[in-house]
Amino acid sequence: MDLNYQIPRSAMIWILLSVAIVLLPQSVRMPAWISIVAVACIVWRILIFTGKLNYPSGWIRVLVVLFTLVLSISQMRSIGIGLDSAAALLALGFVFKLIEMKQKRDIYVVISLCFVMTMVAFLYSQSILATAYSLLSVAVILGAMIALNRSINVTDNWGTSIFAGKILLQAMPLAIVLFYVFPRIAPLWTVPIQNSGASTGVSDEMSPGDISSLGRSGDLAFRVQFETADAPAHESLYWRGLVLTDFDGQTWRRENRRSAFSFASARADQQLQWGGRMSKIGAPVDYNIILEPTQRPWVYGLHLAEATAGDLFQSRNFELFNNGLVTQRLSYDLRSYLQSDTDLVLLDRVRLQALELPSNGNSQSREFARQLRSSVSSDRDYVMAVLSHFSQNEYFYTLNPALLGDNRIDDFLFDTREGFCEHYSSTFAYLMRAAGIPTRVVIGYQGAELNPFENYMMVYQYNAHAWNEVWLEGEGWVRFDPTGAVSPDRVKLGVDAALRDDPAFLQDSLFSPSRLGGMNWINSIRLRMDALEYEWNRKVVNYDEDVQIELFEKIFGQVTEQKILFLLFGLASAVVLGVACLIIRFEPRSKRGSVVSLYIKMSRDLEKIGLGRIKGEGPITYRDRVIAARPDLRDIMMQVTCLYVEISYQYRQVKEPDILSQARRIKPYGRKLKKALVKSPSSLFNFFSL
Amino acid sequence: MRLKTLNVRSALTARFARWTASRVRPKEKVTLDRRMIYILPTRHGLMFVFAASLVFMAAINYAVSLAFGLAFLMVSIFILSILYSFNNLNQLKLRGLSSPAVFCGDYAVFKIELSCFSGRNREALELSFRESHATYVDIIKNDHEPVEVFIKTGERGDFKAPLLKITTYFPLGLCRAWSVVDLDLHCLVYPMPVTFPMADFTGGSANKEESSFVVTGTEDYYGLRDYVLGDSLRQVAWKNVARGQGMQVKQFVDYVDSQVWLDWDMFYGFNVEEKLSRICFCAVKLAEGGRPYGLKLPELEIAPGVGPEHRAKILRTLALFVKS
Repeated sequence: MDLNYQIPRSAMIWILLSVAIVLLPQSVRMPAWISIVAVACIVWRILIFTGKLNYPSGWIRVLVVLFTLVLSISQMRSIGIGLDSAAALLALGFVFKLIEMKQKRDIYVVISLCFVMTMVAFLYSQSILATAYSLLSVAVILGAMIALNRSINVTDNWGTSIFAGKILLQAMPLAIVLFYVFPRIAPLWTVPIQNSGASTGVSDEMSPGDISSLGRSGDLAFRVQFETADAPAHESLYWRGLVLTDFDGQTWRRENRRSAFSFASARADQQLQWGGRMSKIGAPVDYNIILEPTQRPWVYGLHLAEATAGDLFQSRNFELFNNGLVTQRLSYDLRSYLQSDTDLVLLDRVRLQALELPSNGNSQSREFARQLRSSVSSDRDYVMAVLSHFSQNEYFYTLNPALLGDNRIDDFLFDTREGFCEHYSSTFAYLMRAAGIPTRVVIGYQGAELNPFENYMMVYQYNAHAWNEVWLEGEGWVRFDPTGAVSPDRVKLGVDAALRDDPAFLQDSLFSPSRLGGMNWINSIRLRMDALEYEWNRKVVNYDEDVQIELFEKIFGQVTEQKILFLLFGLASAVVLGVACLIIRFEPRSKRGSVVSLYIKMSRDLEKIGLGRIKGEGPITYRDRVIAARPDLRDIMMQVTCLYVEISYQYRQVKEPDILSQARRIKPYGRKLKKALVKSPSSLFNFFSL
Repeated sequence: MRLKTLNVRSALTARFARWTASRVRPKEKVTLDRRMIYILPTRHGLMFVFAASLVFMAAINYAVSLAFGLAFLMVSIFILSILYSFNNLNQLKLRGLSSPAVFCGDYAVFKIELSCFSGRNREALELSFRESHATYVDIIKNDHEPVEVFIKTGERGDFKAPLLKITTYFPLGLCRAWSVVDLDLHCLVYPMPVTFPMADFTGGSANKEESSFVVTGTEDYYGLRDYVLGDSLRQVAWKNVARGQGMQVKQFVDYVDSQVWLDWDMFYGFNVEEKLSRICFCAVKLAEGGRPYGLKLPELEIAPGVGPEHRAKILRTLALFVKS
């Protein structure tokens, strides 16, 4: 402990800056009071630094700890024990450490915590922007470390920042190699991240207005890439989310909430039983979906999708569920059989469920259904009749429908006649059930926008949709979309084409894609940016142990541990060596030295024939002695000695390029000398001449 | 338990220090290279590695790809810091310059010139002898920088500097690079001057300005004083008597005795070092005055003289005196 240790002034600024920069993204997510405490601590620290305040005394520290404890407990009670409260607690401890930071050791604790906080930011977002920000914060933290270790009298902040940037850049190659090559380890124990981020996307129940509220959002829901060359047409892109069967007159709900989270073994049993419930017809469609975090357990896929990779399971209604909430971008591969039939034989229990209606209310609609059903011969004809009722009468597709009363089906069907997809699907299902045809509501997304730069599709929140599945004898569950009957554009061209003139469309997102769609170059930039983000997700964020092994197998064939180790150490050491060459600059070898060493080599050659240079002998004397002994070497000796003398004794006057050229000129003489010596090894003669 | 680990640690450190010392040869000029530079992580570096492993564990646990990236970036930064701290010392040239003599008990000042190839910055270098305060230096503007390193002297004589340690934590403080060199630095240490009433030993009264060297003589005229019975009549200033100024005597002085001999035997009853310390004190004091002084040691004698060279010669003799 060095009691006299003083934190250098410029280092202090850097440290406070790095604390601020790592806390900034957290402050958005944390409760406001933590941000206030953080700012207070930073200000306190500055005041200590300028000598206006003192370090906290013992009882203040105790008070602070108690305060934190109480607040944290109350916080945990309100938002639960999860990532958020842990991150908040970490941030608190971090800023409190700041005010009692005295020793160099304390500073390194703060700096280490800065790195940990940077990691915490990644738990929330791994987008390109978040990564760039994290790199910036690492650069600032490095700046703090450099400033801390510089001499006190060096206050060259610009130099410090350049140096920090340089270190960061030089650290990147090795980090990238390790990122891709270092064997990834699957989670040792799974602690699902629970953050309180509001769940987004389609919810697990549907009341009027639920889906139309999504129509105001231009946020991305997920991205899709089809492995097969030709993607399905826009009108068949129905991304199934949940199947809703229970209707209470107002809201549609899933049948039994518990079944969604049933145990794996039960799931497997059910899947065995249901093996015959579907017939896979037609060519399969393979595709990959990268889902944005939804904070919900279910995921989306086309008709009859099964997971080919990823930890997903299928419910009895062919919904897809993730193992846990989707708190981060989730990538999964699916295979769909678009033409296949499901549930050709309907269980009685399911049939009853799909026919159930509230016993009273909406009498007009019931009557309407009964009459219409009796006027046609088959269930299918009845479906067509209802759809044509929607298309041939004055029904409107709008995000801002008029409010409905208690008998909402009646009100909508005969009175207001305007609504979003939830109104149509709800009413359609009601009419079907009223006529004794098993029907259910499916919610999810419909349509997609193609990104031409990377050839994948983007599905936005405003693509949220609700449609129906009707059970027909001999056909199983068949998809019908009453909204399509009202607004064919919605299905064929997409929601933006159908709602372009609707003022409510995308009213929550000013700069949303479709709003700007009219401007070509902005749209192009948007698509490019999204393509970048998509690639980032595929190549970096989703790089896990499975992808790694797949990649290695693609490159090296059979993957063995030895191969991976070789690759890891080989690549890593190559990179470290390369960076070391950049950092460690060896002193340039003296150019004069090259001439001198050549001269010494020659005298050593001469020594072999007994004409070595005597200690203390000047080069001119030596030259004359050699010439006297071996007149045949006269030319060589004259030239070489002349150069040597020039280099050695008039060094200051000789310019560097000249030295180089002289070294080049002296070289052939050395060779000539060797040749001459070999030709006439008359050592005896030379011996006497000595 | 803690004591034991400490013991093991200090034993290891001592062993390592002995090993490094055994590899050092005294040389006036040293260029640091990879054979002489040692690098170990600091405590802060270990903390950093711990933080990196924390990030790594979180990355595994939460399966967050970019947290893996961050952990690897931290590892990479750590490796870079090793390279950088090596680079901060590598090819650094050290040259010992002559250092002025000091009195025992003072700090010896060793001058060392650090130089490196121009265009290369060396920052936050820390030079120290074992158990001495460190001197910090940057080589930023010039390609060479003179440094003074201090160490307290313990005994007189030819003081050979202990091994010089040159350390750096730059740039990140995660690891410490150091080198141990022996620049063959020597410093002459004079005996520690001990203050004492000097006049008792150098003859005459305490009032040295007057009587210690103004002794009655016959050569040079000094002034007049009143006649005292018994004065030689030949010294009476008869001219003054004729003028009626009364009997006065011309006074003459000799300067022969103003030479002071610092004699070994004067300090009877002291041991060797005490004697030398006192002689040293006298020499310093006498050098401040203008009187010639000589030195008499057993089997050695330096004739009286004045001037800084004489002083240095005397002090040097005292410093290197060996009692046979």
